[in-house]
Amino acid sequence: MSLMGKLFGKEQGSASVARDRLMVTLAKERASNAFPYMEEMKRDIIEVIKKYTKVKDVTITTDKNQDIDFIEIDVALGK
Amino acid sequence: MGEIITITSGKGGVGKSTTVANIATAMAQEGKKVIAIDFDIGLRNLDMLLGLENRIVYDVVDVMEGNCNLSQAVINDKNTKGLFFLPASQTKDKNILNVEKIEKLLNELKGIYDYILVDSPAGIESGFEHSVYLADRALVVTTPEVSAVRDADRVIGIIDAKSLKAKNGEEVEKHVIINRLKPELVERGDMLAIDDVLQILSLPLIGVVPDDEKVVSATNRGEPVVLNKESRSGEAYRRIAKRVMGEEVEFMDLNEKKSLGKLLKGLFR
Repeated sequence: MSLMGKLFGKEQGSASVARDRLMVTLAKERASNAFPYMEEMKRDIIEVIKKYTKVKDVTITTDKNQDIDFIEIDVALGK
Repeated sequence: MGEIITITSGKGGVGKSTTVANIATAMAQEGKKVIAIDFDIGLRNLDMLLGLENRIVYDVVDVMEGNCNLSQAVINDKNTKGLFFLPASQTKDKNILNVEKIEKLLNELKGIYDYILVDSPAGIESGFEHSVYLADRALVVTTPEVSAVRDADRVIGIIDAKSLKAKNGEEVEKHVIINRLKPELVERGDMLAIDDVLQILSLPLIGVVPDDEKVVSATNRGEPVVLNKESRSGEAYRRIAKRVMGEEVEFMDLNEKKSLGKLLKGLFR
């Protein structure tokens, strides 16, 4: 960006757009990459529950609270 | 014992093989014994960049399958003393490699060479996994573009997951090489700056290679651009090689060619 552009704040280079887009996209992607075993684990959990009762669906959600990662597992039982 | 350095990127076409060819050549010029290995099975390329395509008899898969001895497959570069090359196989199924055979080969090479530079294929499939499995350190090549940086970020996230060193509780040392930077574009605010890329990837920098037409002609001739003492990209690669070898080298001033006229123009644009 030229000095004049900087001074008057009218010139916005495309690099800052690139930076912002990357930051947002990567934040999302990193979150989903943090648990690479998720699909496999979900299959295993379903297998275990099946041994005892009927399972309709298993939903796994992840959350982060400061330094602790959470995995929440919701099991919907079938009739 | 030699050090295994994997050069990877995620995205294709950002200059991985060019980086391998140049760092390997520069290290050899510094008196080290270096071997560059092409792990891009089925899409051999490093041979052309090194100008060694006509000397290939056997390849890396032949060695692993026991069709020949290591010494029969390794090509020594007659122009650069100390530089050796092991080509990828061109025709065979890329799934032919397996971890045990790679381990055996790389451990043998570690006993012979100071540096083993592994040219990883693009992507994050088995070829990539094999190329990082035994890495002591990794150099992640990216260009200052959204797609390259995004893929680099993805690759950085999986290097440790696929590495033996990480499985043993150690970390693979990782550095970023920013390739094909255009200082004028950065100046104008139309290209991601060095700091932008480093901030996004949160890895230390080991070198920036300015965009340089001389790389094109060097590639055409099969003579790595580091052999050209006048080229700026060659100088950048030489400095990277020295840093990889543990020397502290100043970073190049990429704007030094800027004239006063250009400065004034920038002021009033």
